[in-house]
Formats: sequence, C-alpha cells, structure tokens
Amino acid sequence: MKRVLGRIAGMIPVLLGVTLLIFILLRVVPGDPVSILLGEHYSQETIDRLTRVMDLDKPLIQQFFSYVGNAVRGNLGESYTMKRPVTTLILQAFPSTVKLALMAAAIAWVIGILAGIIAAVRQNKLLDHLFMGMSLAGVSVPIFMTSLFLQYVLSFKLKLFPLTSDGRLISLILPAIALGWNSAGSIARMTRSGLIDVMQQDYIDTAKAKGLTKASVILKHALKNSMLPVVTMMAIQLSSMMSGAVITESIFSIPGIGRLATSAIQNRDMPLLQGTVLFTTIIVIIGNLAADLLYSVLDPRIRRAV
Amino acid sequence: MRLKSVITTILAAALVLGSAVPAAADGEKILKLGWNKDIQTMDVHKTTDNYAIPLSIFDRLLEVQLNDDGSTELVNSIANEYSISDDGLVYSFTLRDDVKFSDGTPLTSADVEATFTRMFTLEDSVQTDFTTCIKGAQDILDGKTDQLEGIQVKDDLNFDIVLETPFAGFLSVLATPTCCIMSKANLEDAGSDFGLVPEKTIGSGAYMVKEWVTNDSMTLVRNPYYWGEPGSADEVHIKVYPEAASMNMAFQTGDIDILDCDFIDAAILESTYKTAYADQIVSVNRLGTYFFMMNTKVEPMQDLKVRKAIQMAIDRQSILDSIFGGAGVLVDGLYPAGSIGFTDENQGWLKYDPEGAKALLAEAGYADGFDLELAADSSASENRMNILQIAQQNLQDVGINAHIESYDESSWLAKRKSGEMSCFTSPWTLDYNDPSNLIDTFFGSPEATKGRSINYEDTDVMARVAAASSIVDEDERLAEYAALEKKIVEEDAAVLPLFSLQHQYVISDRVEHFTPHWAGYSDFNVYGVTMK
Amino acid sequence: MEKKTKQTGIQSEAHASDIGEKYGWKEMLHQMWKQNPLAILSAVLIIAIIAAAVFAPVIAPYKEAQQDLTARLQGPGMKHLLGTDELGRDVLTRILFGARVSLVVGIIPSVISLIIGLILGMIAGYFGGAVDYLLMRLVDIMLAFPSLLLSMVIMYTLGRYANSVICIFAALSITGWASVARVVRSQTLSLKESVYVEAARSIGVGKFRIMFRHIFPNCIPSLIVLFTLNVPSCILSESTLSFLGIGVQPPAASWGLMVNQSKQFLFGMPWLALAPSITIMIVVLAFNFLGDGLRDILDPYMQTR
Repeated sequence: MKRVLGRIAGMIPVLLGVTLLIFILLRVVPGDPVSILLGEHYSQETIDRLTRVMDLDKPLIQQFFSYVGNAVRGNLGESYTMKRPVTTLILQAFPSTVKLALMAAAIAWVIGILAGIIAAVRQNKLLDHLFMGMSLAGVSVPIFMTSLFLQYVLSFKLKLFPLTSDGRLISLILPAIALGWNSAGSIARMTRSGLIDVMQQDYIDTAKAKGLTKASVILKHALKNSMLPVVTMMAIQLSSMMSGAVITESIFSIPGIGRLATSAIQNRDMPLLQGTVLFTTIIVIIGNLAADLLYSVLDPRIRRAV
Repeated sequence: MRLKSVITTILAAALVLGSAVPAAADGEKILKLGWNKDIQTMDVHKTTDNYAIPLSIFDRLLEVQLNDDGSTELVNSIANEYSISDDGLVYSFTLRDDVKFSDGTPLTSADVEATFTRMFTLEDSVQTDFTTCIKGAQDILDGKTDQLEGIQVKDDLNFDIVLETPFAGFLSVLATPTCCIMSKANLEDAGSDFGLVPEKTIGSGAYMVKEWVTNDSMTLVRNPYYWGEPGSADEVHIKVYPEAASMNMAFQTGDIDILDCDFIDAAILESTYKTAYADQIVSVNRLGTYFFMMNTKVEPMQDLKVRKAIQMAIDRQSILDSIFGGAGVLVDGLYPAGSIGFTDENQGWLKYDPEGAKALLAEAGYADGFDLELAADSSASENRMNILQIAQQNLQDVGINAHIESYDESSWLAKRKSGEMSCFTSPWTLDYNDPSNLIDTFFGSPEATKGRSINYEDTDVMARVAAASSIVDEDERLAEYAALEKKIVEEDAAVLPLFSLQHQYVISDRVEHFTPHWAGYSDFNVYGVTMK
Repeated sequence: MEKKTKQTGIQSEAHASDIGEKYGWKEMLHQMWKQNPLAILSAVLIIAIIAAAVFAPVIAPYKEAQQDLTARLQGPGMKHLLGTDELGRDVLTRILFGARVSLVVGIIPSVISLIIGLILGMIAGYFGGAVDYLLMRLVDIMLAFPSLLLSMVIMYTLGRYANSVICIFAALSITGWASVARVVRSQTLSLKESVYVEAARSIGVGKFRIMFRHIFPNCIPSLIVLFTLNVPSCILSESTLSFLGIGVQPPAASWGLMVNQSKQFLFGMPWLALAPSITIMIVVLAFNFLGDGLRDILDPYMQTR
C-alpha cells in the first residue's frame, strides 16, 4: 500500500513536467493559428479581433497558469478549428483508440507468445531462426507499410475485411494486426528468452522426472514463470502503440485520438494538439504505473521485499 | 489447451460482433460520399474550411445555377423577387411564403435580419469581409452598436438591404455560403451548440443532419418541410478517408458514389478511371485561375524585363499536361476562363519562349542569371509542389538559378502576408462570379497587394480597381475591368497567370445525375445529386 | 523497473570491465561470424549502402532531380531500372540520393542522443542524490511521451524556424536520449562501486576524470549496441513523419518522403512506393541484425528494447 501511494506521488512531478514541456514547446513559439483559420480571406481588422477573442494576446505566464488550473479541472480549452471543448473531443475519440489498442494487444500477445513458445521449444532449430528472423522483421517494417499492404491484399483484393473502420469490431482487425505486429515481435523474443532461462532450471527437470509431458511442463511451469517480464513489456509497448495508432487510425479511417493529433497538426490547432498529447502521455504514465504495481503483485519476491 | 480456447473465443467474439451489419432498408437510395477530412462546424459564420454541409442544409436568398453549357446565372431561391434602386444602394426583397425550417417554423424577414446581424456581432466571426459593404456593418465591428442599420424589415416577407456604396457583385455575394439564412429562434436557443449539435442546427435546405460522429461520419436525411422538390437520395452518408489511397479503393469497392478527383493524383485518374470508368467522369470548369506570383520588391524582379522573361520562361502547357492531365485551359489574364469579366481580347498574347526569355534577361543585364527562391507551402497539395518543381527546371533552363524552399503553412502565410515572399504559386477560385472578387483581392489596395506579396506599385491603377466595383453601368464596368487586366498582366507583368482547371469527379453507376458546385469547389450541395 | 535495471547493472559490471581484454577485434569478428553470420552480412550491406550514398553523384544513372516530363510514371525497364516518378525522375537515382538524407537522419540524431544520454547518465549515476533524482525524473518525463507524438509536436514548433531535416535531427535527438541515459546511469551506478574506481578515488583522481577515464570506456560496448539499434529506429521515425507529411519536405528527398509521394500509386504503379519501402526495410533490418549480433557479443545482459 505504501508502495502504491509512493508510486502515485512520484507521478505528480512527472505529470507537471510533461504539462510544462508541452506548454513550452507549443506556446513559447508564437504560432499564427488565426491566419490558418481565415484561409484566403482576411483583413488585418479580422485578424486582430480573432487574436483578441482567442486570448492569444495575453502574457504567456498568465496563459500557462490558467491552462494548468483549467486542466486540473478537466478543461483543456477549446479547439480553434472544431469550435468545441478539447476534453469533449478527446472523450469522444478515446473509446475508438482503446478498442483498437486492446485488440492490437490481444493479437500481439497471442502471436507473440505462441511464436515465443515454439521458438523456445525448437531452440536453435530452423523454426526458431525463422520466427526470430520474422520478429526482427516485424520491428523493421514501418507500420504504414504493414497497414497499406494488409488493407490492399485482405480488404481490397480478397474482400475479407471492411476497407476502413465502420464501427464494427471486424473492421478493427486489420488495423489491430498492423498495430500489434511490432509488439508481437518483441513479445516473442522475450517469451523465448524467458522460457529458455526457466527451462534450464532444476524444478523443470523435477517436473519432467515426475512424468509430466513436455507440453504441460512448458505451459504449467515454465510459461508462468517467464511471463513476468512480458507483462511489464506490454506496458512499455503502450507508448509505442499510441504512436502507431496515429498511423493506423489515419489509414483505416478510425476516429480515434491519433486522428485528433494529426488533424490538430494539419489545422495548427494548438489547444487540440496540446490536449491530445497531454492526455495520451497521462494514459501512458498510468499504464506504466499499473504494470509496475501488477509486477509487484505477481512477483512474490518483490512483494515480500516491500 | 487454454491458449487455443483463448484464440477461439477472440475469433468467435470478433465474428459475432462483426456480423451486426447495419442493413439498409430495401430500395432505399443512399448517397455515399467521401471526404479527406471532417468539417469543423456547420456554422458558416465560424469557418471558411468546408461549405458542403451549410450549402446542403441552409438556403440562400439567391442561388447560382450551373447550366449544361457551363454558363452560370443567378436565380431566385427563397427570395421570390427583388429590385435594385437606381443608385445601386437599396436592394428590396420579397421572400417566398412557403419556406419552412426543418423544425416546421416559417422563415421570415426577421430570420434574415438575425442572420446578417450575427455575421457582424459574433465575436469570432470569420465571414465579415465580403459583406462589410452593408450599411452599418462597420459600426458593429467597431463596437458602436449591435443593430445592423442596413437591414430594414418591412413585414414578414419584405425587407430592404441598404449598402454603404454601390457594389455590383452584391447579388452574387448573397448567393455565397457566407449568406446562408439561419433561424432566429434556433440561434437564440442553441447558443454555442449551434453548428455543432445536429438537432440544434436548423436550416431550411433540402436536407438536415441526423447524426455526426466527429472525424468519422455524418448522416443527412431529407428536411420534411422543404419547400422545393424533395431531394433524390433518401439519405446521404458521408465518411472521412484521411488517406487518399483508402478513398481511392473505397470508390472502387462501392463505398463512395462520388469520387472527388482533387483528392487523388491525376495519373491515377488517367490510368485507372479514364479507362475503366470512362463514361462516369463528370467535369466542371473551375472558376479559378492558378497564378505564379512574382514579388516586385524582390531583387531583380523590380525590373519589368525580368518579370516578362519569367512569364515567357515557364512552360505552362507542359505543367498543365503533366500535373493535371491536361484538364484545363491556359489563361493569359486575371479572370478565370468562363467567368464574368473573362474576355478573349486579353488572351493569346503570352507564349512559352525560353529563347526570348534569355534575350530579355540579357537585355536586363542578367545574362548570367540570378538566384531566385520559390516558396512552397508544405501543407498544400502535392500538385502545388510539383508545379514549383517544373517551374524550377524551366527557370534553370533560361539561366535563372531557382531553388525551392519549403515553409510550414503558418510561416508561409505569415511570410506572404508580410509582403516578403519572392515567388510562389497559388490558385484563386471565385467566391462569387464577378471580376471584383479576384482583382480587388489582389490589386484593390496597397495593403492587398502587399499582403499577397505582389507589391504592385502603380497606385493609380489600384485606385481604379477600387473604384470599378461601384460603376453602375454594367458594360462600362466590364470594359474597365478588361482594361485593368490588360494593364496589370500584359503591360506591367505583375503576375504570371497559368491556367484555369477543370474539376473532375468520378461517379458510381448508382448516380443518375450530378451537378457540381458552379465554381468547381469541392463543396457541393447534395441536393444536386440524383440517384438511380 | 527500478529493481530490474539495478540487477542488469550488477550483472554487466564484471562483464563490462573485462570486455577489452577478452576479445581482440579480429577474434570478435570471427566469433560473430560463427554465431551470427547474418550480422556480418548486415554490416557489409550497411557499408555498401553508405558508400552508395556517398558516391551517389558518381554512380547514379541520372542527375539528381533531373526531370523528363515526356517519360513520366514509367515502369522498371532498361532505361530506368526502377522506373520513373510523376515528374519523370529516375527512381533509382532518387533512392541513391535519398539515402544521403535517410542515413544522415538515422545517424546524426543517434549520435546526438548518445552524447546527451551518456553525459547525463554518467552525471546522474555518479553524483546520485538530488542530481540523480532530478535527471531521472526528466528521463521519466521524456520516456512517458509517445515518441511519435512528441516528434510531431517538435516538428510543429520548429517547422517555422528551420529546415525540415534539421527539425528532424532535433525531434529525434530530443526523443532518443532518455533511454540511453537510463542505461548509462545503471552501468555507472555499478561501476562506481567497482574496485578500480574506488582505487582511483582513493588516490584523489577528480570526479570528471574518473567518469571519462574509467566509466566511459566501460560503457562503450553498450553504447555501440544502443547506437546500432537507434539508427534504424530513427530511420523508421523519419519515414513515419514523412508519411504523415510532416517530416522531410520536398524538394529534399528521403526514402520516407518518396513513399509518402507515391503511396497513392501503390495500386497500379507499385514500383514507385515499393522501391523506397523495401529499401527502408532492408536497411532497417540490416541495422537491427547487426545490433542484435553486437549485443550478443558485447553485452549479453543488456535487456533494453
């Protein structure tokens, strides 16, 4: 319990730092969202009026404190272009991203762990090399290539899946595969090395001696003990998944957080960009915290130590 | 085996959830459209970004009709009749008596007054620039009053609009999306939800928005109280496809009925659609001119000979052919081909002549060329970057050492506004069909010409430009515009006009007839689509 | 995390300190070839590609950015081995010149983040206390950001001030240094307690001298591995940013930008998008194989990534 509170308290400086950093990055540089908003039509008068209305003429310090004050209360300001509260936009988009990320995680786990087990069992045999080669290839292919390729072959040519997201879960399968592919590679490698480590330990021999089959030894004993690092791995992957979502959401037309970020960049919608990045980062921080706590719950050695 | 069961459960769940297909009722005519990004708001006073929804769900007093021969004319919409006083200052309107908003309430003069007043009283209004000619508008913007003096309501159906000075393009302005008529009661009820929440955004147009999922999709249904013939499609489904490749595939799989070729590369149009969908291509003249700009403040373009040389050095036809698949015509003046003000007299004088350009440069003392920056807006379409790349090569061929510099959008706009940008390319599509729209924007005043990084120097000509829109006699006015065009482009070589383009669409076999926007904008009124 | 990194640190202590004596370069190569021939092949490939980039003006069949508007969008053939793009430019030539941008974008930010990470990591590990706390919170902050989003923000901010390639250097260095700092710190922590550092300290050697004379050399193996694995991730990040249209801006050409410009032609004229895509994949894969091989040899306990 103490540990939990300690970790949560430790988050606060990080959160403040994150907010300050985004703020500095986005606000110290005087942007010109007004001219973008007006496009081809403008007069100096209109520009001045909008600058005033959008509070862009206030001193920076004042802007920061009012931003943090509002952010704590859940108000991330109003989007310049979408004309509504950033918080509303984020909350609308979040479920899509969560669905996508959960599915991608599930796919990464299934593929990664299966491949890891097989590779470990067939250590240094052909299948092992093949899978490990593929897992390296998995992290070497840019996610947009995987996405475009899957979309073209499986949806457009073979018509197995909807081309783009239409709200149904089936339409999320391809983007989830594209997104989970990279993580699957890392999980496979971790599972493999964990399993190999564990299988060399004495109690596995004992289990084997007791007459258990190889498969059940792997599943019951070895896998369980090698899963710990994989659990933490997954939380770290959360961050790269949020990055990857920016691409897959765009290619598969999913109205998630990543799309908000790209449209904020296109429209130079600073409050929206600021809000999305802040929100995503907080999610990642919370995810890491959760994984950390889970780790200590799962690993008896740490639990006892605390 | 636990893993196996996990996998089967996941797959089974996916299939079950996936099978919940939202089926359309039999025989329902659904028009499916694809956009590359979502609209920002349906409130036209707050955006200049995309007018398709405002055009479809609101009415204007007048409408521009696009005829089959490509010509356009102003026709009455919810205005039944109108008259203009002899001094060109007072426009008296009578509304149709059967116009109702989609909540069933009638549209009256009070709604017109509320709409125009809001245009100026709304703090973050972006639509004040065409309409400040209305009497009293400036006073509201200056904060002196919140009543619009220029709109005078006589009764429910009759009202006058009074202008500060005569403005020949005013009727055309009334037909622009800027002047969508909103409901006074709705504006008061909805407050800041107006334009964002479908049920709180009430118009009198043929369709109304039923559902809007931000960044994803929109559903339009018929307005049951619409005064005209009901629209052909029962429902309109709009989906956002941020990636052009996805949009392209979506059309081919039948998920889009009208593919806007602005979003796909001309080469794809040529290779795929011109063959497989040859009789499903719809073209409309884009009432716009693509320009190559030359800043007279930038060394050595203050020299007329250098500007003339640049005019001759760029191979406009090859740009048109390579980048736009030849879909357009070269223009030698300011006004777009087919627009009011366009004259054949001012065409045909400008020829691609690299040798002549070299000779002129030598005459001007630049036989060895000079360095020239071409400024690119990194967020603009790839076509614009490609135009600059070809222009760069053309300029290098006559010895001008042109190099391209990329700026992000806001720096590009800021630099152009500061009057410091040297050469760049930019299209102008008419907001309303009148020469004043283009020439006033570019050459109407020293600030205007500086703000577009042209820095045209002849103040007498600019004064004539500013005065031309209040010439009441139509022939006289158009003659003056033609003379100004000749002076600015041919004599002073202030800009290099490239071409007017066509806007092309591919329609699916479910679409019977499709009327694009009259000026070739991507934003069209969905009412103009007839389904089979 | 805390516990795990410490463990790793302790294990690598004994290893890192005698890595120099254990293997000569020749022997190391020999060992690698035996264990992991792919890594050696990858190294050869990488050297070949770097050479191709350096000598691009000599070996490229056409001049950089030379247009031929009469030969647009041609398929692969004798005249143009990989075809031409929408302005009639030779795709092979563009890939060779694009290698310059892409490789530089991979290498320079990796070097910068290595230097920043090394310095801050050693300072944090060696000084400990408040300095360590502050620096590690900063590392936490940097690692909390999804890297692509942070790079997007940096591109957005710097885009108006600098050339796009320089912006990418900045974006990728800012996002890359933190993980290096974390590894270096944990190594420093364990090295600090080692006998010879104690000995050096006891005879009065200065702090910075100890850091650079004793700790830094022992970090080199990990740094080499980190560098080799950082380069491909920078190349991938650049291609992703360029794919979104906020990376390298034309007329500069990188592989990522080439994919971005040709992704529409994937269907119908696939060579345009595939050529740069496959190039990216091969180069990234080569760097990853090499990094993996180096890790097995140099630093079998390092478990980052």
